[in-house]
Amino acid sequence: MNIMETKGLYHDFKGLKVLFDVNLEIKEGERHAIIGPNGAGKTTLFNVITGTYEPSKGHIFFKEREITGFKPHQLTRMGMGRSFQITSTFTRLTAFQNIRMGVLSKRGIRFNLFQLLDGMNEVTEETDQILKRINLYGERDVPASALSYGKSRSLEISMALATDPDLVMLDEPTAGMSVDETRTAVKLIRKLTEGKTMVIIEHDMDVVFSLADRITVLHLGAILASGAPDEIKDNQAVKDAYLGELEV
Amino acid sequence: MKQNLLNWIFLAAIVIIAAFIPMIFGIYYSNVIVLFSIFALYAVSYNLLLGYTGLLSFGHAMFFGGGAYATALALTHIPGFPLLLALLTGGLAAVFLALIVSPLLVRVSGTAFAMLTLAFGQLLYVICLKYREVTGGEDGVGGFPIPSLNIPGIVSIEMTDPLKYYYFALIVVLLSLFIMWFFTKTPFGQIVVSIRDNANRVDYLGFKVPHSKAIVFIVSGFFAGIAGALYAMLQDLVSTDGALTVYMSFFPIMMAFIGGIGSYFGPIYGAAILTIIDEVAAAYTEHFELVTGIIFILVVLFAPLGFAGFLNFVKIKWSARSSHQGTAEEVS
Amino acid sequence: MDSTTAMYIAQSLNGLAYGMLLFLVASGLTLIFGMMGILNIAHASFFMLSAYFCHTFLDMTGSFLLALLVAPLIAAFFGVLCERFLLRKVHAFGHIGELLITVGISLVILEGVKFFWGTEPYLVAVPEMLNGFVPIVDLHYPVYRIFVIGLALLILVLMAAILFKTRLGMVVRAAVSDADMVNALGVNVPIVFMLVFGIGTWLAGVAGVIITPILTVFPGMADQVGLDAFVVVVTGGFGSLLGAFIVALFLGELNAFGIQFIPKLAPVLMFAFMAIVLAFKPMGLFGERE
Repeated sequence: MNIMETKGLYHDFKGLKVLFDVNLEIKEGERHAIIGPNGAGKTTLFNVITGTYEPSKGHIFFKEREITGFKPHQLTRMGMGRSFQITSTFTRLTAFQNIRMGVLSKRGIRFNLFQLLDGMNEVTEETDQILKRINLYGERDVPASALSYGKSRSLEISMALATDPDLVMLDEPTAGMSVDETRTAVKLIRKLTEGKTMVIIEHDMDVVFSLADRITVLHLGAILASGAPDEIKDNQAVKDAYLGELEV
Repeated sequence: MKQNLLNWIFLAAIVIIAAFIPMIFGIYYSNVIVLFSIFALYAVSYNLLLGYTGLLSFGHAMFFGGGAYATALALTHIPGFPLLLALLTGGLAAVFLALIVSPLLVRVSGTAFAMLTLAFGQLLYVICLKYREVTGGEDGVGGFPIPSLNIPGIVSIEMTDPLKYYYFALIVVLLSLFIMWFFTKTPFGQIVVSIRDNANRVDYLGFKVPHSKAIVFIVSGFFAGIAGALYAMLQDLVSTDGALTVYMSFFPIMMAFIGGIGSYFGPIYGAAILTIIDEVAAAYTEHFELVTGIIFILVVLFAPLGFAGFLNFVKIKWSARSSHQGTAEEVS
Repeated sequence: MDSTTAMYIAQSLNGLAYGMLLFLVASGLTLIFGMMGILNIAHASFFMLSAYFCHTFLDMTGSFLLALLVAPLIAAFFGVLCERFLLRKVHAFGHIGELLITVGISLVILEGVKFFWGTEPYLVAVPEMLNGFVPIVDLHYPVYRIFVIGLALLILVLMAAILFKTRLGMVVRAAVSDADMVNALGVNVPIVFMLVFGIGTWLAGVAGVIITPILTVFPGMADQVGLDAFVVVVTGGFGSLLGAFIVALFLGELNAFGIQFIPKLAPVLMFAFMAIVLAFKPMGLFGERE
C-alpha cells in the first residue's frame, strides 16, 4: 500500500510557484529520501504534506484517506510525525518534559485537568525509557535550550517520533552535525524508525545512500527523477542538476 | 519540587499570621489585607495567561469588572440572593464573557491579540458607561445588601462585619489560589506552558492549540471574576472607573511582572509589594500610581524576572548546588 | 438646502476632521510599528502631553501659533528620550518587554500629567483668526474644523513628499519594512529609529494641539483617542500608511454618524468593524508583517 501519496500537487506563495505538479508515492515501510538543490521546494513539500500550508492545488492521501487541507494536529493523530530543519523544541522545558509532551499526546491525555502530572508514574516511566533509548537520559533535567547541538537534534528527532507515528517525516535531521554526530544520528534514526515508514530530506549523500530504499529528486519545485539509489546515481539529468554532487 | 514545598510552608506561615492580624492591627489593616488578597487573586489569574501561556492581554479588567458588576447587579435586583451564589455569579459572568471573546482571540497572537483584548476591555467600559439604566453609568451600582453566609441549620455569619468578611474573603482567595495552582500542575497545565514556548510544536504533537487557549482563558477569567465579586462585596460599590478602566487592566500586568511572571507565586509577591508601596506612598502623595508606574518601568528595564527572580537568584547564590536546579523554580 | 442635507454635510465634515486627526496620530503609530515591530501603547500619551503643553503655552503667551509650533516639538523630544533610554534597552527582551515598557510609560505620563496639571479639564478657545463660520452653500460650518482638515492634509502631503521623493524618505521606508537589512547596508539605524520615533510622536503632538479647542484638555484624552488610533493601525494594517488613512477616515465618519443616529451603539460599531476585519485578515486590511 502507498502509505502516502500526492497527486498533482501545486503550491505558490503570492504568485511565486514553489511546487509544480508533484506526484509522490511513498510505499508503506520504505525509507524514502528527498534530495535536491537548495530552493528546490523540499521543505515546502513537507510543509504542505504535514498541514502547515494548504496546497494551492492538488490532493494528498495518507493511509488511503484524503487529507488535503488537514491541520497538523489532525495528521499527527492519524499517525504522522515530523521533525524540523531548525530545531523546534520547548526551549524552557527540560528534555524530560519535552519528551513527556509526546508521550501525553500518544496516550491521548490532552484535556486532563484533574490529575497531578508529576504523579502519573506510567507517563514518567515511558518518558524515561524513551530518553534512555535516545541517549538523553543523562540530560533529563537539562532545559532544551542548554543542550549541545547534537543532543538537541536528537531531541528534535525523537519529538517527531514521540507520538509513535506510522509515517515519520524528517527534515534535514543531520543539518549542521559533525561527521561523528552524523554517524550516531544515522544509527539512531535507523533504530527508531524500524517498522515505520520514513521520508527524509537530506543534503548529506552519505546519509541518503546509507538509509534510503528509494530516492526522489526535486528540482525547481518539480520531481526530476524517482527510483532506487543506483538508478538515481546514474541518472544524467540528476547529475546535470546537481553538477556531480552525487559522487559518493 | 522542594522549592514548591518551601513556598507552601511560607504561605502557610503567612496564612496563620494573617488569621491574627485583625486582632493585632485592627480593622483598617485587615481591610488592606483583604484588598491585597483580592488583587493577588486577580494577578495570579492574569498570570495564567501571561506567565503560563505567553499571552499578553490588555483587557483582563473585563473579567474583573464584569464579575464585579454581575455580582452587584444580582445583589441589587434579586432579593435574598445568597452569598455563595453571588460569588459564583461573578465568576460565571466572566466565563460568559470569555466564551464570547475567545473564538476570535484564540486565532490571533502577539500584538493583534493585545490590541483586541484592549479593545474588548474598552468596549465593556463604554457599554457600562452608556447603559445607565442598567449599570448606573459613572455612578455605578452601589448600596446593595451584602448577604450573610448561611449554612442552613448550622450557622449564619454576618458579612457586613468587616472581621467576618475578612476571613471569608481570605478563605475564598486561598481556595482559588490552590485550585489554580493545581490546574498548572495537571497535564493540561503542561500543554499550556508548551504553547508559550512553541505553539507550533504543540500543534504538531497532536494537540488542539486554539481549544487549549480557550480553556485557559475561561479558567483565568473565572477567577478574575471571583476576585471582582469579592471586590464588589467589599466596597459595596462597583463603578466603571473603579473596575473597568484600562488602568485596571494594566494593574495585574504590573503586579505579575514586578512579582515575577516566571513563578506561580510571583504575582502574589507583586500584589504585596504594590500594596505596601500604596500604603507607604499614600502618606506622602495622592499619586501612588505614578510611583507604581515608575517602579514598573524600572523592573522591566533592570529586573525583568521580578521579585521571584530576585529570590531565585539569591537562593542560587546561597546554595552550593549546580545552577541547573534553578530552573525547577520556573514555571514548568 | 434643507436641514437634513445640511446635517449630513456637517456630519461628514465633522467625521472628516476627526478622521484626519486620527490619521495624524495613527500614521506616527503605524510607522513606528512598521519599524520596530511593536505597538507603542504610550503613543497617545504623547498626544495628550502635547495638548497639555499647548494649554500651558497659551496661558503663558496667548499665541495659538506658538503653541502649535512648540508643544508638538516638546512632546517629540520626550518621545525621543523614551526611545533612546527606555525602549532601546528592552529591545533585546523581545516584543513583550517593549510592549510592557510602553505600558509603563503611558502610565507615568498619565499620572505625571495629573500630578503637574491636576485632573480638571482645561478649556482652550478657538484662536481668534480661525473663529467664525464659513458658508458652504446654505450651511454655516465652523472655520476651525476646515482648518483642521486643511492642516492635516497639508502635513499628509508633506509627509508623502518626503517619504517618497527624498533620499531620507527612502531610507526611512526601507528601515520601516526591514530594519535589519538596512542596518546591514551600513545605514545608521539607531539614528533612523530616533528620527522616525521623533517624527511619529511629533505628528501625534500636532494632533494633540489642534484637537484642544474641540475636545478640551483632560487626562482621559489619551485613552479615548488612543484606542481609536490603535484600532486604526491594527485594522488598517501594521506599517501601512494607506491602510491607516483609509480606516481613519472611515472610522471618523462612522463615529460622526454613529453618534448622530445610534449614540448607544456607536462604540460597539467600531469594535465590531475591527473584530470582523481581524477575523478575516489578522494582519489588517493592508498589513504584511506580523
